[in-house]
Amino acid sequence: MRLKIIAGILLAAFFGLTLAGCQTEGKAQAKKPEIRIAEQYGLAYAPLQIIKEKKLIEKNLPQIEVTWRQLGNTTAIREAMLAGELDVGFMAIPPFLIGWDKGMDWKIACGLSSTPVGLVANKDDIQSIKDFTPKDKIALPQPGSVQHILLSMACEKLWGDPKRLDNLLVTLDHPDGMNALLARREVSAHFTTPPYLFKELENPGMHQILDGREAMGEDFTFVVGVATAKFYQDQPEVYHALLKAIEEALSFMEKNPAETRRILADAYQIDENELQKYLDHPDTDYSMEVKGVMKFADFMQKNRYINRKPANLEEVLWK
Amino acid sequence: MKNKDSYGKKTKTRLLWIIVFLVIWETIAQSRTFPEAIFPSLPVIAKALGDSVVSGEILLQTGWSLALILQGLLVGLAAAVLLSSLAVRSRIFDGLVDTLTAIAHPLPGIALLPLIIIWFGTGTLAILVIIVHSVIWPMILNITTGFRAIPPIYKETGLNLGLNQVRIIKDIMIPASLPYVLSGIRIGWARAWRALISAEMIFGAVGLKGGLGWYIFKQRVFMDTPGIFAGLFVIVLIGIVVEDCVFAAFEERTVKKWGMI
Repeated sequence: MRLKIIAGILLAAFFGLTLAGCQTEGKAQAKKPEIRIAEQYGLAYAPLQIIKEKKLIEKNLPQIEVTWRQLGNTTAIREAMLAGELDVGFMAIPPFLIGWDKGMDWKIACGLSSTPVGLVANKDDIQSIKDFTPKDKIALPQPGSVQHILLSMACEKLWGDPKRLDNLLVTLDHPDGMNALLARREVSAHFTTPPYLFKELENPGMHQILDGREAMGEDFTFVVGVATAKFYQDQPEVYHALLKAIEEALSFMEKNPAETRRILADAYQIDENELQKYLDHPDTDYSMEVKGVMKFADFMQKNRYINRKPANLEEVLWK
Repeated sequence: MKNKDSYGKKTKTRLLWIIVFLVIWETIAQSRTFPEAIFPSLPVIAKALGDSVVSGEILLQTGWSLALILQGLLVGLAAAVLLSSLAVRSRIFDGLVDTLTAIAHPLPGIALLPLIIIWFGTGTLAILVIIVHSVIWPMILNITTGFRAIPPIYKETGLNLGLNQVRIIKDIMIPASLPYVLSGIRIGWARAWRALISAEMIFGAVGLKGGLGWYIFKQRVFMDTPGIFAGLFVIVLIGIVVEDCVFAAFEERTVKKWGMI
């Protein structure tokens, strides 16, 4: 008897919660226009700091409510977008393709930046990826990340085997990876982006043995903006306001270098001179053009990281 | 006989509830309220589990995780017994162990991760350190409580019989406090599992030796939701097997047989 009562309470609580969940969703739709955007940490996301600081989305759509979230990795962004908590996420192309392959209803809205990506080694006898021994470990953000795919590309080129170094990988986020590299214990190389890349190279004995463009064989967009189908279809005016804001941020960065430097130095807690050096790097480029999707897709499908690939770029691009 | 009946009854109600959960799960999955990437149905999960068993990956990773846990538990248990024996015999040591426990017990292993990476790297040693850290403090608390609950006359009898210190610990104090030690090991085991899975999910080789936590993490980054559930299923299964078979059997053969509980 008592069991039945408990079961009844549990079931009631369960359905009650489910219904409550549906209700809040209904309310959110009736509310004023809003956009929820996720970004990650790093200079590759610089135009977004300008949009935030200058309130460029609000400028174009005064009544809008903008929510910014900074998440530690792409997987978390993808999961939040799957759960309907985010409208737009900024990430690299390979994690986007993994989601697309698994049936996520999303497409690329625009490019955001290209940035230096480099594999930094801390041992003198490692001068290229050929020199890794089974005792070495290579730190990178996670399997399936752009860094992992780039390393696989380099391995395929050299040995014809993209998974050759997979047994050496350790996943660490950028700050932990940098600490591990500088500690010179097990981790002998770290695949990373600015500002970590530049900070690591400032240390004696650290040298870069591979860069992203070399591995890829061509220029590619590092960060793209990805929007869910629901957002694109239900709120086209907000979608276009976002694109316009990015466009304005890019031209602002070009026209007002001094103020840009000040805003970014503030946002990233980096010294202004150092920041200028990063921005002047030949591989740093902010642009809305999307480059490299098909090359990533070809490689990832060929090596079974994804099961299907888009027939052409337009298939994964909103417009 | 009576014991066996209650054991069978427990298994029956447990099975009943598991079936109820599975039916609710499948109903929700079949209703297609949620996309499959969020809420996969049971056959899909079973297939993911089957695939990874056939490929041998999940077994390999589970074996690796279990081996690590066993090592961590043994080291933790030995250290806890040693520290607890010292603590009950000397006031100075008691103060030391008490202070150490007060400092370290509330610290989650994962909070120490950045330090552990710098000090011990990211390999097996680092994971072992995290496991030992998470099991040793609750075990010490349990074992010292157990040691203190032993009537002094037991120990005095041992001394009268001329037993040395090691034998007093081994033959009198540990058996006499076994219910406490056992619950310490139980807590330690649960803590070790959690610490291990979290540590493995944070770092671990992409290659063969990443453990079960790594297996789940890998399914996550490649967005294979059924695979995540396959990994979780294995964790639950091992938890139930260890609790219902290993611990229960050990209890049956020791403290229950001796009439202690």
